[in-house]
Amino acid sequence: MLWLLLLPLPLPALGVVEKTLGIAPYLVSKYVPSRSNTWTCLDGSQEIPWDYVNDDSCDCADGSDEPGTGACPNQSFYCQNEGHIGSFIPSSRVRDGLCEPNCCDGSDERPGVCNNVCQEVGQAYKTKVEEETKIRKTGSKIRSTYIAYAHKEKKRLEEVIETSTAQITAQEKEVARLRDIAERAESLSAAALEMKQQSPLYTSLITHSNALKSLQREHRKHLQREKELSNILDALRTGYNPNYQDMAVLEAVRGWEEIAGLPHINDVGKDSVSDEEAGVEEDTVSDVAQSKEEVDDEMWSAEELENDLDDLLNSDYISLLLEHDEYVQSPPEGSVLFDIASYLPDSVVPQYEEFKETILSLLVSFGIIKSETSSSTDTSRSRQVLTDAENELNKVKKDKENAENDLKEIFNIHGYGLEGEWKKLDGTCLRTENGDYTYEVCLFGEAKQIPNKGGSTFSLGKFASWNPSPDVKPGEEAYYQKQIYNRGTRCWNGPERNVVLLLSCGTENTLNSVVELEKCEYQFTGTTPALCRPLDSFEGRNGKKSNAGKDEL
Amino acid sequence: MRSVVLFGSFYALLALPHALAVKSQDFKTCSQSGFCRRGRALAARAQEAQSSWKSPYTVDPSSIVISPEDSTVKAAVKSSLYPEIKFGLELRIHDDGVVRVLLDEVDGLKKRYDEAASWALVSEPKLSKGIRWAAGKKELRAVFGEKNDIEVAVDYDPLRVRLRRGGEDQIVLNGRGLLHMEHFRSQTLKETIEEVASDENAEGQEVLQVENVRAWFEGDSEDAYWEEKFSSWTDSKPKGPESLSLDITFPNHGTVYGIPQHATNLSLPSTTGDSPSYTDPFRLYNADVFEYLASSPMSLYGSIPVMHAHSADTTVGVFNAVGSETWIDISYPTKKSTHTHWISESGIMDVFLLPGPTPEEVFAQYARLTGTTALPAHWSLGYHQCRWNYVSSDDVRTVQRRFDEEDMPVDVFWLDIEYAQDHKYFIWDHKTFPDPVEMTNDVAAAGRKMVVIVDPHLKRTSDYPVYQEASDLDILVKPKSGEGEYEGWCWTGSSSWIDHFNPASWDWWISKFKTTKNDTGFSWTESTEDIHIWNDMNEPSIFNGPEITMPKDSIHHGGWEHRDVHNINGMLFHNNTAQAVRLRSDIPKRPFVLTRSFFAGSQRVGAMWTGDNLGTWDHMAVGVKMVLANGIAGMAFAGSDVGGFFGNPEPEMLVRWYQVGIFSPFFRAHAHIDTKRREPFLLDEPYKSIVRDILRLRYAMLPIWYTAFRENSVTGMPIVRPHYVVFPQDTAGFAIDDQFFVGSSGILVKPVTEKDKTEATVYIAEDQVYYDYFTQYAYRGSSKGKHITVAAELHQVPVLIRGGSIIPTRERPRRSSPLMKLDPFTLRVALSKTGTARGDLYLDDGVTYSHQQGDFVWREFVAEQSHKKTTRISSKDLASHNPGKAVDGIALTTFDPKNAFAKEIEEVRVEKIVVLGLNSKPRSVNVEGGAELKWEFVPGVAASDKKEGVSSVLIIKDPKVLITTDWAIVIS
Repeated sequence: MLWLLLLPLPLPALGVVEKTLGIAPYLVSKYVPSRSNTWTCLDGSQEIPWDYVNDDSCDCADGSDEPGTGACPNQSFYCQNEGHIGSFIPSSRVRDGLCEPNCCDGSDERPGVCNNVCQEVGQAYKTKVEEETKIRKTGSKIRSTYIAYAHKEKKRLEEVIETSTAQITAQEKEVARLRDIAERAESLSAAALEMKQQSPLYTSLITHSNALKSLQREHRKHLQREKELSNILDALRTGYNPNYQDMAVLEAVRGWEEIAGLPHINDVGKDSVSDEEAGVEEDTVSDVAQSKEEVDDEMWSAEELENDLDDLLNSDYISLLLEHDEYVQSPPEGSVLFDIASYLPDSVVPQYEEFKETILSLLVSFGIIKSETSSSTDTSRSRQVLTDAENELNKVKKDKENAENDLKEIFNIHGYGLEGEWKKLDGTCLRTENGDYTYEVCLFGEAKQIPNKGGSTFSLGKFASWNPSPDVKPGEEAYYQKQIYNRGTRCWNGPERNVVLLLSCGTENTLNSVVELEKCEYQFTGTTPALCRPLDSFEGRNGKKSNAGKDEL
Repeated sequence: MRSVVLFGSFYALLALPHALAVKSQDFKTCSQSGFCRRGRALAARAQEAQSSWKSPYTVDPSSIVISPEDSTVKAAVKSSLYPEIKFGLELRIHDDGVVRVLLDEVDGLKKRYDEAASWALVSEPKLSKGIRWAAGKKELRAVFGEKNDIEVAVDYDPLRVRLRRGGEDQIVLNGRGLLHMEHFRSQTLKETIEEVASDENAEGQEVLQVENVRAWFEGDSEDAYWEEKFSSWTDSKPKGPESLSLDITFPNHGTVYGIPQHATNLSLPSTTGDSPSYTDPFRLYNADVFEYLASSPMSLYGSIPVMHAHSADTTVGVFNAVGSETWIDISYPTKKSTHTHWISESGIMDVFLLPGPTPEEVFAQYARLTGTTALPAHWSLGYHQCRWNYVSSDDVRTVQRRFDEEDMPVDVFWLDIEYAQDHKYFIWDHKTFPDPVEMTNDVAAAGRKMVVIVDPHLKRTSDYPVYQEASDLDILVKPKSGEGEYEGWCWTGSSSWIDHFNPASWDWWISKFKTTKNDTGFSWTESTEDIHIWNDMNEPSIFNGPEITMPKDSIHHGGWEHRDVHNINGMLFHNNTAQAVRLRSDIPKRPFVLTRSFFAGSQRVGAMWTGDNLGTWDHMAVGVKMVLANGIAGMAFAGSDVGGFFGNPEPEMLVRWYQVGIFSPFFRAHAHIDTKRREPFLLDEPYKSIVRDILRLRYAMLPIWYTAFRENSVTGMPIVRPHYVVFPQDTAGFAIDDQFFVGSSGILVKPVTEKDKTEATVYIAEDQVYYDYFTQYAYRGSSKGKHITVAAELHQVPVLIRGGSIIPTRERPRRSSPLMKLDPFTLRVALSKTGTARGDLYLDDGVTYSHQQGDFVWREFVAEQSHKKTTRISSKDLASHNPGKAVDGIALTTFDPKNAFAKEIEEVRVEKIVVLGLNSKPRSVNVEGGAELKWEFVPGVAASDKKEGVSSVLIIKDPKVLITTDWAIVIS
């Protein structure tokens, strides 16, 4: 049914379009003239002559009278695309002289401008869809193994919880028993111990230890500060803008080069330097460090300070105190009584101990010997055993807690997905090379920028969340198509580095591209089978597609 | 929402302290510049001496030679300070009444630079014939002009040149006796004299007397004659002192405009006299000023030494063709007079006196000297989207896709320096731009273009063919030794600069832009004709140079020092690039090349922008003034970076800045690499929709802009016109620089450049009706001038249509401007008080030069009351009546209204006519000799009423009259 509107003026091809051109199928029934040959705008605001429909002149406030001409702004034009799939284009693209790819029938342009290519487009589309389907099929098979893994993992974790629960019960009993022993031993010696602890040596030791601990804490702070500062200065040195001849910046760079023993960056080609300088830098820095470290033999090296100081500071000073006593008092002038046990057969020892305690307490009460010397070793040993047992208990408890937490996350919509399909990928690291750097993201972990030619690795951020857009609901496909990694190393003069990881369905876990769209804001794209939902659960995908794209930049 | 707000203010805090830091220590003040110091000291001595001050320069009457056939006069000039030094004075009267005054040292030790005018002038000016110079006893004079009311007089003793009209002095040269041309001298001689002087000092009367003879004028010391230090740099000054001091007085003009580029008011503030606005003179020395101040007389990127002096009676102008560093002091001794003092470092005196007497005629006179804005490619009036940097070809494609998804029009995507491998311009970084040609083609598929940056600094590596070829050809700027290659530091690291003063560089540079293979060297085969060019850093900006530019003692072609040509340098690079882009295709196409640096004459080449502005309200506001000031000085195709180059503007600021942007001749958004992305599609609602509407308004109004560009290309009238240009007699409006008209269209704009505004005040200078463009509200002005208040919520930019205008627009949103080619027009007929209106419309293919062969359409629309109660709206061809004044560059003798272009658009029609201000509902509306049209009338205030309120609106539906043919519509 062709409705050709004949115009009063002899204008070639002007405004002559079918009345139904551009109308969405579900609206076609609304585009019929009334009996008096009028038509009401779709919003009901106006009644206009039927002639005004698709006459290339906008009449309705809602633009509904021109579905086929582009005369009204912000409308949608429907292309039938027979032989392919019908689609909408914005009215701004109707009759603009360009053949829209989405309008393969050419109906968006004046007759004769565009060929009908729906045959070819349809074919190409079919092929593309088939390819996508293939990928999705393969991907979803892999995905199902991920889900299976999650279930296995769930089981394993449940078992972990079960065994650790049992272990905890047993261990708690053991701790109680050991505590009992330790407390008995300590109650006996508490008073003595207190006395010992007042020894000037011990108090001094504790003061030393505290001082050393504080020094270590401060030292670490300074080290950290120095590292940050040197990072800042390195970044300044390699990245500063020689533009504007900012003397303050220049002096800072020169000063840093002096201190760090680096070559002047502007004395050589800037780019060639950056290749070598990383190596140069480290060598020189360590050279400088070493030359300063040639100190007294008795003094600790930086390495020892770094590695061994913690152990030293973690010493059990009580034990040391008691051992010290033993050392000072035995064996040269040590009383036979204290060590007699070692000459006795094992079977007699308990009786002997009991006997010894009685004798000793007698002796002490008579003031013959000083009680501080009594059973100090036993006390510290039983305390040690108790501590070990408690640690063991805590470890098991922690394991249980972790397992419980993991279990909670596995089938969590905000965690590893409702089906647990992401659990398998926890800690999976994807890498790609891009220019002078390798970029790495360990899923649910951390993203990094690793220089290929040496130099420091920057954290680009730690996993923070799935797609945080308020337009996207947790659980939707679009939710899992985006991961946010944030709070990476701060940029010089800028924000902390962040990563937006955009994922799509693919048969492999890959990282495909990395772009720094603005300073320190990285966009990674990659594929994963975890996003290949089975073909029958496609609902909502097309509807959400536009949302997914919205936050890309 | 709260967190978003906090985040925003966090960024603002971050940006602010950093943002307010111009490195003023990088740039000289007058007191740090030897010749400026000397010039100001001279003025101070004159000030002190008051009436006893007398210029030492005199004309020797016996030397006068008059050549009547070309209205020229020559005479010898002497300075009583140096009687042995000879100066030559020459005055020429051009056929349009412009008077050129030249002064040079004759037979000096060296030659002063005398080529500035030859670069600035569009062609050798035509001299008037038969004007009689009469040499009297005290003065030389000539009378000319259509009414014989212009007179130029040269007083002999002291030398003084006066341009008079109607017996009143308009322009006076050396009226205050500050003229001083430092002659060339030899350093050794001077030293000897000093030695002798000190030797004889003990006895000494005589020698001391000799010195004192000059000290009253020149001062006691040889201040920075032979060497000048600034920061860590030393300027060797091998030619010694050669500065030129010249006072130019406008005894009857109390307002001066021009001498861009400065971030300041259009009406120039004072720099000397009683409580001056600035303490330093305005400076013209092209410089890359990092984070420049929003109010300062400091130099910026470009220099146009032209000044207009304006009063309610007359407007005159002065064009001082000097290419060296120049400082200009301005003071207003009375409300009605202006003193200016121009101090230049080198060069001859070559001053053009533009007699006016109206702003329009001053524009025309200056345009005849230096040319007009070349009619730009039509697409270049669309929206330009730039950022430092779109990081990859996929990034470019994504940005394009997002614009299309949001249905926001855009014509051009830009690439800043990071596209180029190691900043070797032309050489794509294939890691990020693996497919530049395909990328460009993808952009071009939607009718769009790309603009890619090519800066003047060439990386000094042999693997960069552009540098290597230039080095081999020996066309690079040389260091002070005159041997080898000047080397400086820029984005590229160690770099050299092509000497575009060397003619050998021209054809070579043009050949680099060929998109096809070049037998003789590199050509840009990885480009297409859809790539146009951006020339940045052409002051030149040199990071490790004095004042971030080239040392003044560097050597250019012909042995000239950089000092002589500095301000011209950027224009030549710009010009040669534009020639290259024009000539790369077989059928020449209009090039688009944006420049940062410019000089008098740059308007012939292409567009400029105001450089690296800051994302602050202050900078948004001063950007408007700067664009107006550039327009006054001929550089009409101008704009400021929308959003501000530095900083992260909040959405409100960005929206307002887009409103400013669409009413700039050049409309580009740009952002620094450290800023957040801020493309309009990233905005949240409602800002996104507001900006979409703003962009679409620019596109709807493209016919107005293009028509204004045609007018400018022929007449030199600015594209955006400040108040005084339209109402030259309204003294209350002389200083207005925050509202302006677009071309002759009658569109009056007052952009909002302050935060939290909901209304704006607009000044109306005449007793006329002005209609709100959007609401059709009719406001009434007053002949005494009146301020009206208009709504200016964030989504509203105050735009009024002056009663008596017909505004042609194209209202169909498109992705890019070329896709609008066949779209129909809407005409807004805004009736004046007396029921009339007019407007014009110019169209051509927008790409080639076929308009110069007569392929264009230039129509006039007129609404008049043909009988009582009948309004007739008609369209007629303008070109047939005026073929010679239709297009720039060629005086057509005939015009064919059915030319090839007219045929291409013959189906383009008027789809709607809106008539504002009719008295009453019409009885009928029909095409003359045709049928009744469909129409609708909403009653309201009539144009002839005295009331304010929403005007009556007649909407004529699709009259189907064609753009290219004559027609008339009668409203009875």
